[in-house]
Amino acid sequence: MSGDAERGLVVEDVHTAYDKADVLEAVSLRAERGKITCLLGSNGSGKTTLIRSILGLTPPNRGRIVFDGTDLTDLPTHKVIAAGIACIPEGRQVFPKLTVEENLRLGGYQETSPKVLARRLDRVYETFPLLRERRQQISGTMSGGEQAMVSIGRGLMSAPKLLLLDEPSLGLSPILVKENFNIIRRINEEGITVFLVEQNVRQTLAIADFGYVLSKGRVVAAGTAEDLSKTTEVHRAYFG
Amino acid sequence: MDVGLFSQYVMNGLMLGMMYALVAVGFTLFFGVMDIINFSHGDVLTVGAFAGLATYLGLVEIGVSWPPAQVAIVLAVAIVCTAGLGAIVAKYLVLPLKDAPALNTLLLTLMLGTVLHEAIRLFYPLGANPQRFPSLLPTDAYTFGNFTLRIDNMMLLLAGTAVIVGIHLLINKTKLGLAIRAVAQDSETAKTMGINFTLIVLITFAIGSGLAAFAGILHGLYYSEINFAMGLLLGVIGFSSAIVGGLGNIYGAIIGGFLFAALQTIGVLAMPFASAYKDVFAFGVIILIMAWRPTGLIREKISERV
Ligand SMILES: Nc1ncnc2c1ncn2[C@@H]1O[C@H](COP(=O)(O)OP(=O)(O)OP(=O)(O)O)[C@@H](O)[C@H]1O
Ligand SMILES: [Mg+2]
Repeated sequence: MSGDAERGLVVEDVHTAYDKADVLEAVSLRAERGKITCLLGSNGSGKTTLIRSILGLTPPNRGRIVFDGTDLTDLPTHKVIAAGIACIPEGRQVFPKLTVEENLRLGGYQETSPKVLARRLDRVYETFPLLRERRQQISGTMSGGEQAMVSIGRGLMSAPKLLLLDEPSLGLSPILVKENFNIIRRINEEGITVFLVEQNVRQTLAIADFGYVLSKGRVVAAGTAEDLSKTTEVHRAYFG
Repeated sequence: MDVGLFSQYVMNGLMLGMMYALVAVGFTLFFGVMDIINFSHGDVLTVGAFAGLATYLGLVEIGVSWPPAQVAIVLAVAIVCTAGLGAIVAKYLVLPLKDAPALNTLLLTLMLGTVLHEAIRLFYPLGANPQRFPSLLPTDAYTFGNFTLRIDNMMLLLAGTAVIVGIHLLINKTKLGLAIRAVAQDSETAKTMGINFTLIVLITFAIGSGLAAFAGILHGLYYSEINFAMGLLLGVIGFSSAIVGGLGNIYGAIIGGFLFAALQTIGVLAMPFASAYKDVFAFGVIILIMAWRPTGLIREKISERV
């Protein structure tokens, strides 16, 4: 059932709506295993909605979502996560009243071995030494940039095969944005497939392998990052 | 006032506070994970007390007469019954209505509560009458002046304290507790952590309802009597305690429970000629506190919720 074609994430003809408002229309795309695939699009084009559909938070009412041969379309969210997917959500969404370490532990919620968890925690603290110092701090009292670290660290705690990132650089200073893209590249180099939603066109295409452009709920352009950067003029319209 | 008599009042107040706190923690847990008020909670307590009494009668019937075994089995059966009932309420009443206005859930649970205590009145043998609850604990007593220290009351207080400490540890030190807190803060993000949301809600309702059964048995053992309507006032008091402490906050609920009992006790002490007015006094002060601090004594939770 799972040929090479079904490795990685496959989104096929997905239609998603909130109540009566149709948002996604016939979206098809794939995030190949081991690669960085990005999804660009202006505000309100439906990027977050697609992530929510993949995660089962707003299930599509038509179409199919398959990951490494597993059909995710009708699975509850915790089973989507169990398939090896993690998400760094829009706006970071750290649990504000939990400590940094509690947030991180929640990222590894489905891992039952304390040893494995301790090792992953150590890895995250190596990547973000500041988090080790602050591990007992209540997350809601941290700065935006610090919360971004918590959110990324938390996303890595499940040792996912596929990481979904929804505008991770939003609200960060230029220096932190750059740092953020470096981290994403490093995550990918460790073998994690990355699906990156961004509005930061140039820096995103610089690290991505493939890209899609979403407009009003439809995919309007697709190609290698290189191809897409050459046609930047074409969809500059979408980004203002 | 005489020290002995005063101590007696304090002892009684602590016992009441324990029961209220246990009920209030349930309200606050349900609100935490589902943002709803479960008004059947008081009547679930009544179901627990009657399940315990029926279990006792059954044990006597089959010849189990060793009190420690009786207490243990009565408590276990009562808690399992209400935990199951709580999970059923969550699964078939609360979760299906999660996208409906909170008022609908409130109304439905209110009606369920009525069904529960009316069912006890109609179907429990002589259910309309108060039922004698057996004393299953040693009744030795030590008298100091006007103060009588009963061993069974001490045991009830210790057991209640142990349960409250246990809940604290469960919520703050275990993985399950971490999941409950995560769901309470942000259920959607909690799901994306891989938490089985539905399961956590069911478990939380089971825990809260199990606590109600414990409070119901405590009530029965302390007053040696239960009746089909006992959950009504206990429910309202537990709810008020949870609100006054700051709904959604476990410590607030515990403080609220003891505060309410303290107010009742003060009411009795201050107006010994009119002790029937103790509830009027206590609710009156609660109203004043709510006017002063509309979101409860421990407020951060609600303001952050918005
Ligand atoms: N919960 C919701 N209920 C109803 N409509 C929604 C909901 N969430 C999003 N929408 C609508 O769906 C459309 C797509 O929203 P979405 O959040 O997916 O956009 P986006 O591409 O992520 O935008 P941004 O870049 O601003 O994050 C918007 O028109 C939005 O108003
Ligand atoms: Mg978005």
